[in-house]
Amino acid sequence: MDLYVAAFGFGLVSMSVIAIAAVGFTMQFGITNMINLAYGEVMISSAYVAYYLNKAGISIWIGMIAGALFGAVFSFLLNRIVYAPFLRKGTSHIGMVIVSLAVSLMIANLLLPIVGYYNVSYQDTTGGLIRAGGIVLTTNQIAIIGIAVVLMLLIHGLLRYTRLGKAMRATAANPTLARNCGIPTQRVVDAVWLITGALCGLAGVVAAMNSDSFAIANGAGFLITALAAAVLGGAGQPYGAMIGAVIIGMVTELSAAAWAPEYKEVVAFGILVAVMVLRPQGLLAKRGALAAAG
Amino acid sequence: MLAVPEAPAAERPLLVASDIHRHFEGLHAVDGVSIDVAPGKITGLIGPNGAGKSTFLAVLAGTLPGSSGDIVFDGQDVTAWPAYKRARHGLVRTFQLPSEFARLTVLENLLVAAPHNKGDSLFGALMGKRYWIGDERRLVDEARVLLNRFGMSAKESDYAGNMSGGQKRLIEIMRALMLRPRLLLLDEPMSGVHPKIVLEIQHYLQDLRAEGLTILMVEHELHMVERLCDSVVVMAQGKVIGSGTMATLRRQREIVDAYLVG
Amino acid sequence: MNTYYAANLLIYAGVDIIALLALNLQFGVSGIVNFSFIVFQAAGAYTAAVLSLPPDSANGGFQIYFGGYQLPFPLPWLGGAVAGGLLSIPVGLVVLRKLRSDYQAIALLVLSIITNEVITNARPLLNGAAGLALVPPPLSDQIDPNTSSYQYFYVGLTAVCVVLVFVLVNRVVNSPYGRSLRAMREREIAAVAIGKNPVQLKLTVFIVGGVIAGLSGAILVGFIQLWAPSVWLYPETIILFAAIIVGGRGNNVGAILGALLVPVGFEEVTRFIPTTIGPPGLIPALQWVAIGLLIIGFLWFRPDGVRPEPRHVFDGAPVLEDVDHARGT
Repeated sequence: MDLYVAAFGFGLVSMSVIAIAAVGFTMQFGITNMINLAYGEVMISSAYVAYYLNKAGISIWIGMIAGALFGAVFSFLLNRIVYAPFLRKGTSHIGMVIVSLAVSLMIANLLLPIVGYYNVSYQDTTGGLIRAGGIVLTTNQIAIIGIAVVLMLLIHGLLRYTRLGKAMRATAANPTLARNCGIPTQRVVDAVWLITGALCGLAGVVAAMNSDSFAIANGAGFLITALAAAVLGGAGQPYGAMIGAVIIGMVTELSAAAWAPEYKEVVAFGILVAVMVLRPQGLLAKRGALAAAG
Repeated sequence: MLAVPEAPAAERPLLVASDIHRHFEGLHAVDGVSIDVAPGKITGLIGPNGAGKSTFLAVLAGTLPGSSGDIVFDGQDVTAWPAYKRARHGLVRTFQLPSEFARLTVLENLLVAAPHNKGDSLFGALMGKRYWIGDERRLVDEARVLLNRFGMSAKESDYAGNMSGGQKRLIEIMRALMLRPRLLLLDEPMSGVHPKIVLEIQHYLQDLRAEGLTILMVEHELHMVERLCDSVVVMAQGKVIGSGTMATLRRQREIVDAYLVG
Repeated sequence: MNTYYAANLLIYAGVDIIALLALNLQFGVSGIVNFSFIVFQAAGAYTAAVLSLPPDSANGGFQIYFGGYQLPFPLPWLGGAVAGGLLSIPVGLVVLRKLRSDYQAIALLVLSIITNEVITNARPLLNGAAGLALVPPPLSDQIDPNTSSYQYFYVGLTAVCVVLVFVLVNRVVNSPYGRSLRAMREREIAAVAIGKNPVQLKLTVFIVGGVIAGLSGAILVGFIQLWAPSVWLYPETIILFAAIIVGGRGNNVGAILGALLVPVGFEEVTRFIPTTIGPPGLIPALQWVAIGLLIIGFLWFRPDGVRPEPRHVFDGAPVLEDVDHARGT
């Protein structure tokens, strides 16, 4: 039983990490209707940026901000240089998937000679352990949960109360109509890539912090969990992604306690397939995101 | 000449749709529509934008599942049948937006629709050309007759994707005809088509009706409806608000108010 | 040029051609984006291996795997083909029915990643990360595998399979059935409206492709005599996709061309670059970057590939002046 209580605690951290990643991923899909398979690689790249800063003696929290900035710029450029031109050309959904897959392959392999194959980890001596009724977490992990909560509130605020947020929601619902209403869709799209890129980068650093060690090879796993949470919640629905993250984070940690930790991603994959088959529109279904024939 | 199977008794409707509903995420696109489609006639389906006409057509064809209601086609309950099965039994639809097979040639677009080709199965294909070439040649001849009739013989080997809007529309109609349909569901067949071709299509449809084909068509152009349709069903907001000939409909105040002008 | 090098080249070329003919049938002709293709080749290889290997206690028992029936050729190869086909059934039934095309692709991609992870971690199944080694080559009890004549024999065997697969796939593609597949690829909803059952078509093509993929795996494992998860990581499928995109979709000649240009040609060209340049693993990593660039480059400049799908003209067609070519990705 203690195992499960502890796993519950890990689930809280897991869901926080996944939430940050999944919300970014799903918002990219919501606005551009493309599934960015390079997301995991951008996460990992940002994790490495923070790693090198950390090696140079800089605090991991500064590294996190650096990772977020890196993710923002990287994602923005990725869209401007690769995705947007292909989209303008009228490339099909499936063509874009292939393009993003090629990009993810390139990113991973451009990084490999630079960072190497071996696992690395952050050096951080500031943490301590917090115990509360069977749950044992490090202060870093608590901080991660806190950061995730703050970010979710910020996203909520952005979408609900700011002009940009409203413009984003309008563009996601109906881009042509949005443009005709005078919304500068190009700038909205740019803003989305910057914001989601920042989330992506931050998520990468946080995910790396939460693991014992990481390497380029983890990129695929990051992508799968973010993808699973996003699809579960409803593609393009930020609040859905949050719910999806809660479910996936908790279920994978509990199943890791019940069976084996190596199969966490298998569980996430199982959930992903189940959702795709049984309820492809996800939990918070809405027209537009998925109704269009592929 | 188009050989249509034995026409059903003139009194019995070819298609009976009963209380069809289609709601999706709270929107009632089709809200209890019942119609009878008389055989050998062209029935029009008109109404303002958003009335649910195209959705209703899609439910009849099976492209969209209905939320409730029954569809009986030539005496058979096809409500649970998937779209491809309905097509194989003679309930064939066309689409509002161009739906040609772009990277198949015009002739191939027609050939692919023809049933009864021994080569159109995995087994048949693996048996080799000699097994199915007879059927293929027969169908090529049939398709060429159609192409000639619709004036597109010269374009037989062009990619369908390169054709003009009106030509694509003709291809779709010819493609549907290769299936020997008994009821043709046309979704705005004239939309986006050059006026000259519109007239041609109108004549083709009249010829087809003379040969015994039943047609149900969604159409916006009321003059066209008047010229072509034997009777008309009017829909608004997912419901049927009137049916009959254009003349009788004009006399009904509610219809006129809701939709018709003049 | 020594025999082994030539045999290696030819056999890999043969295996790649067979695999690409299958992938072209699935992707180029029918529009199924099978990002998990490599898994089916792996299934064939593993099956052929455990069918031809002795029980795992042999050779000092350093490997753990199920099976080990020591069956003679051609049973392992047949088994490999059947395994590829059988695996396609549940995967196809789950993935190919209601999902939209990009979801299908992603589900298959993730399947590929996860399957590799599971096999790597579940050691008693197929010896985990180390994989299976010392796989007996076909007819090794009759011909000494270390001789040149065996190399020729194996090349001949592969060539026979290539011809067989080519004839069968060609019959499928250039038939009314192939035409229905292409129509489904072009516009599925219209294909349904003319009476095509897309689920049945896709499932059939998926299974046929799986059988051929399994055969290609069996051929390969019989030659290289080992098979491990590192051989069939998910990016291997991407190389095959690059080959299809480069060579030309929807036609078998394009598939063969793609096989010769990408997996074979690429490997051969980079073979001559010394691996001592730069940090370790630089050359393989750059190979992958080049593959990615090839895909993106071709999708941008020439999505139809070097040899595009030919237009079908029938006897007795009118002669045209301007021959146009519909584009599309």
